[in-house]
Amino acid sequence: MSTRLVWRDGDRVREVELAREADGTWRVRVEGSELVVRVEPAGRGRMRLVMDDRSVLAEITAAGERRFVQLVSPAGATDFVLDRATQRRRKQGAAGGGLEAPMPGVVTRVMVAVGDAVAAGQPLLALEAMKMEHVVRAPHAGTVRAIAARQGEMVQNGVALVELEPAPET
Amino acid sequence: MFRSVLIANRGEIACRIAATLRAMGVRSVAVYSDADRDARHVRVADAAVALGPAEARASYLNVAALIAAARQSGAEAVHPGYGFLSENAEFAAAVEAAGLAFVGPTAEQIRAMGDKRAARERARAAGGPIVPGAEGADAAALERAARPLGFPLIVKAALGGGGKGMRVVHDRAQLDEALDSAARVAASAFGDASVYVERRIERARHVEVQVLGDGAGNAIHLLERECSLQRRHQKVMEECPSPVVGPELRARMTDAALALARAVRYRGAGTLEFLLAEDESFYFLEMNTRLQVEHPVTEWVTGFDLVRLQLEVAATARLPLAQEAVAMRGHAIEARVYAEDAARAFLPQAGVAARVRWPRAPFVRVDDGLMSGDAVPVHYDPILAKLIAWGPNRGLALARLTAALDGSLVHGVISNLPFLRALARAPEVRRAAFDTEWIEREFLAGFAALAQAPAPEQALAAASIAELLGLAREESGDGAARAGAAPTPFDALGAWRQPGLA
Repeated sequence: MSTRLVWRDGDRVREVELAREADGTWRVRVEGSELVVRVEPAGRGRMRLVMDDRSVLAEITAAGERRFVQLVSPAGATDFVLDRATQRRRKQGAAGGGLEAPMPGVVTRVMVAVGDAVAAGQPLLALEAMKMEHVVRAPHAGTVRAIAARQGEMVQNGVALVELEPAPET
Repeated sequence: MFRSVLIANRGEIACRIAATLRAMGVRSVAVYSDADRDARHVRVADAAVALGPAEARASYLNVAALIAAARQSGAEAVHPGYGFLSENAEFAAAVEAAGLAFVGPTAEQIRAMGDKRAARERARAAGGPIVPGAEGADAAALERAARPLGFPLIVKAALGGGGKGMRVVHDRAQLDEALDSAARVAASAFGDASVYVERRIERARHVEVQVLGDGAGNAIHLLERECSLQRRHQKVMEECPSPVVGPELRARMTDAALALARAVRYRGAGTLEFLLAEDESFYFLEMNTRLQVEHPVTEWVTGFDLVRLQLEVAATARLPLAQEAVAMRGHAIEARVYAEDAARAFLPQAGVAARVRWPRAPFVRVDDGLMSGDAVPVHYDPILAKLIAWGPNRGLALARLTAALDGSLVHGVISNLPFLRALARAPEVRRAAFDTEWIEREFLAGFAALAQAPAPEQALAAASIAELLGLAREESGDGAARAGAAPTPFDALGAWRQPGLA
C-alpha cells in the first residue's frame, strides 16, 4: 500500500509516493526515480536515512503547513523548506507575482490609487521591516483594481496587497 | 566598578553584555518590550524592567522609559550595546543628566562623530584621508554639489550606520529617487532625514581599526578587522586580522585611527572604518562610537574582553591596558546569522524559531539571543546569532567556522545559514580575494540559482517519511528527546497526524 504526498518546493509542485516494505524499509518514488531507504531514529529528534551506498542525517520541523528539512552528510549541511500542498493557496488568486507582501512589515507608502493605470516596473507601495525598505513594483502594465493595504498597516508575508488587472495586449 | 548596569538593548548583544557583567560580579538589568517578554536576554539578566509596546520607538528607543528603568532598578551605569540608542547623543546626555554613567563616549563626541559629515571634517582636520564627497541643504543643492564627483556615487544618511539608508547611484537618472528613498529611511531609522554623497572607490575593501580612549587624549588600538564581505552594505562575515594588511600598512592605518581618536579626546571603545583601495591607499569612512557587532573577532585575537574594557574606562576614566599589552594571536572569523531569505533579495523574515541549535565545538564561540521556541519579532534587526571561530592561522579558522555553520540549525523562520555555508566554501573567500561588492557582483547569482534548484529527492523522502512516521511515534522509542525542553520532530510528528494520511 502506498501513500502519495504533494509538496510545494519553491515554485514547483513535487509528488512523492512512498510505501513501507514488510522488512521495514521505505520505497520512495519522487518523479521518475526511486529511493530505497532504511530509517533509523538518530536521537535528539533526528533520523538517519540509510541507502545502499551512503547515509544522511535528516531533521524535520513543522511550522503550520511548512516543513523545514536539514540534511547533514560529510559534504556539509543543507536546508530546505517544503510546504504541504493540501489546500489551494490564495497565490493562484487575483494578485499574482510581485503584488503580495514579500516580507512581513509595515506599509510606509501607498503610491497608487484604485483606477490608476500603471506601467510595468512602476512603484506601487513601499514596505518597511527591520529598517529595510522594499518597494513593490508593478510586474506588468495594467489598471489598479483594488488596494488591500493602508499606510501604516502591518502586513504578513504573502498577503495580497494590490490587485492589478493586466493591460490588454497590444 | 559599578555594582549594577542596565543594558539598553535586546537579543544577542544584550546576552553577551550580561555574560561579561556576570563574570565581573556586576548585577545586570535587562529591559524588554512587550514583544520580548520571554526573550532570552530577559531570562539571563539578574533583573528585568518592562519598557512598553513592541515598536522600537515605544520601547528600546524610548529614552524616558529607559532612564526610568535605570532609576527604578538602581543601576549606576547604562550600556547601550549597538544599534538602537547606542549612537544617540541625546540619550547619552540624558543618562548622564540622570546621574548615571554612560558606557560609551560623551554626548558631544557622539554628536561630532555620529554625524558622518561632521566626522569627515574632524578626520580631515586630524590629517586623515577622506573620500571626496558632497553635501547640500536639500536634494537640489546636493545634486548640484555632487556634479563634479561624477558617478558612481553613494548616498548616505548623515546619522546612519550599518548601511541603512545607503544607496549606490550609477547615473543621474537614479539620483533623485535614491536621495528621496535614503532620506525617508534615514528619517525613519535615525530620526533625521539628512543625507550626503560620496564618490565610490571601486574594488575597495572595508578595513576598520578598534580603538579605546580614556577621554583625556590617550588612546590605544586593538588591531584591525577585515569587513569586506558585505551584502547591501551590511557586513556578513568579518575577521581579525585582515588577510591583506601587513605590519607596515597596519602601522599606517592604526596611526591614522589613533590620531583621530586622540584629537577628539575619545572616551571608550570606538571603531574607525576605512576604505582600503587596491594600491593600499586608504580613506576614512566613518567612526562608530560604540561596540561593533563584529567585536568578538578582536576579542579572540587579542584576548581582551571589549565589554569589560568599556566598563573599566567608564568606571575609572583610565585605560586599563597599555598598547604594548596588545598582541596578535592567530586568526578569528565571525559569521552573522540573520533571519532573512538570502535567495530572495535578503528579505527579512519573522516568526517563531521552533527549533534552534547552535554548534558546540572547540575554538567556536556563539553569541546568540535565540533558543528553540523563541519569537523573531518583525520590529527589530533580524540578527539571530554570531558564530565566531578561531585558528592559529586563517585557513584553520575558516575551516572551523565552516564546520560550525554546518552544525547550526534554525527551523521555523528562514535564516541565511545556507548563504553563509556557501560563502564560507567559496574559493574567493578561502583565498581572501574579495572586495565590498564581490558578493553582489560575483557570488550572489550563483548562490540564488543553487538555492532555487529543486530540493533533492532525499529531502522530499525525509519530509514525507517524517509525515507518515507520525503514526509510528511510540515505536521510535525516542524518550530522551521527548524529555528535553526543546520540541523535536518526533514530538511534532504527533501533532501532524492528519486525516487522510492513515
